[in-house]
Amino acid sequence: MLAELFNPYYLQIGCFILINIILALSVYVPLSTGQLSLASAGFMGLGAYTSALLTIHFDLPILVGIIAGTLIAGLIGILIGLPTLRLQGVYLAIVTLGFGEVIRVVFINWESLTNGSVGISGIPHIGREILKTLKGFGFNPQSMGLQNNQFIFLSIFVLLLIIAIFLVWFFRRQHYSRVGRAYAAIKLDEKAAESMGINITYYKVLAFTQGALLAGFAGSIYAHVLAYISPADFSYHRAVDILVFTVFGGSEVIWGPVFGAIFLTFLPEVLRFISEYRYMIYGLMIIILMAVRPQGLIDVNIINWIKSKKRSKRGVTHGSGSEKSM
Amino acid sequence: MLKVNGINAFYGKIQVLKDISLEVEEGSIVTILGANGAGKTTTMKTISGLLKPQQGNIKFLGEDVTGLRPDQKVKKGIALVPEGRQILAGMTVLENLEMGAYHRKDNEIDQDLERMFERFPILKEREKQLGGTLSGGQQQMLAIARAIMSRPKLLLLDEPSMGLAPLVVADIFKIIKEINQTGTTVLLVEQNARQALKVSDYGYVLETGKIVADGKADQLLNDPRIMEAYLGRKSS
Repeated sequence: MLAELFNPYYLQIGCFILINIILALSVYVPLSTGQLSLASAGFMGLGAYTSALLTIHFDLPILVGIIAGTLIAGLIGILIGLPTLRLQGVYLAIVTLGFGEVIRVVFINWESLTNGSVGISGIPHIGREILKTLKGFGFNPQSMGLQNNQFIFLSIFVLLLIIAIFLVWFFRRQHYSRVGRAYAAIKLDEKAAESMGINITYYKVLAFTQGALLAGFAGSIYAHVLAYISPADFSYHRAVDILVFTVFGGSEVIWGPVFGAIFLTFLPEVLRFISEYRYMIYGLMIIILMAVRPQGLIDVNIINWIKSKKRSKRGVTHGSGSEKSM
Repeated sequence: MLKVNGINAFYGKIQVLKDISLEVEEGSIVTILGANGAGKTTTMKTISGLLKPQQGNIKFLGEDVTGLRPDQKVKKGIALVPEGRQILAGMTVLENLEMGAYHRKDNEIDQDLERMFERFPILKEREKQLGGTLSGGQQQMLAIARAIMSRPKLLLLDEPSMGLAPLVVADIFKIIKEINQTGTTVLLVEQNARQALKVSDYGYVLETGKIVADGKADQLLNDPRIMEAYLGRKSS
């Protein structure tokens, strides 16, 4: 019974949803300072290739590869973030999109290292490594009523779920912290923020770099979940997909990109039965949403509405008490 | 307190400030007058650090602060209320005020908030409202209150009367006077020359990037030449 529930296909979709949530956050964080970055696909590629090459050629543990991939993306993030600070809106979007393409073309042409457009296969798989380690301790997935394959994907899913929850928690806290206030002020009015004593250079580069770190991390994980990467995985299409998660879900509150990533990863899978029409429906939904709700599906008002619903459910006494204090 | 010494500032190749020197004494209110495009706002931007002068230096409390960033200058005690108010429209009144105290780490911020709400009761009423929903005069009060939240020694006000009704303008100048009486030095940029000079101790007149006249405020007010050229009407 448990075995049917943990269908590897479902679990894999679950893993992609969680990776996409992290990617959506990588657009959300720079955007919360008003920087529209399309570099996430590029940073993702950097993380993926760094980690894949390190683990294959130097036999490093996956964890080391992922940390290295994340840090390389972050480092390049600082280098790209500093000179592009002066750019705003659509200009920054174009430059970061260009950066992503440069990265992709380097992956294609540096054949001796990256194997060109064929891509890299045989990347160590996180799930299999976990299983191997646990088996070393005498663990057998059959004791849980699971097959090896199911256990592999279940372990990745649980791991990613913990990481994604941590990241959402972290960036939600950051939003209400000093850093988050500075981000919000910069987004609302850069000049006002500056005259208020906020070091806008520092915070803008910080936000951009956080985005790069997130994308690099997601990319490293991606490489070790799929075990195969190629330059096509990190193309312009990926950049736009990631942007759409955030724009569709809404970029005002962190739940927007989270929802966008979940919904838009699910949708094509749910619509699989109408095969070739599904991307038409996908596109149509985005057009309609942008026309009706340009701020995205989830905004501050919806969050407040949900909160007030919760509060009234919790009991009338509590609700009337808080009204008095207003 | 503030000594500006021969600054030249450019936007690209265009020279906007030509050898500007001025001085603000501790505890005073000083006004810079001038028409549109005279370089008033540029002078303010240069003093607050938003713009770097090519030449010249700026001394604050005896210390050279010429090349400092705006955030560093706020920490030193120079706060700017920018032209056109520039409050954070998407944040509440309370959040705007809290942002003013951004660089402070002491625990008297709540006291200062209370003090602001006492001085500006209308802001207390609108505490939870978004800044952008306030009227022009209220926004200006919020912008001033926000700047004071940083506990400045020198408050720079860039055209606080811009776009406000005459009655509100009178209010704003009254507030400026009150702030000054609590010990904050004020440097003011204005087009509303007569009102500004009335609350000021000293004035400078700026024309196409140069200081063309300066003197005690009441002298400037009674100088027929200045009155005619900059105050728009022959003095009676």
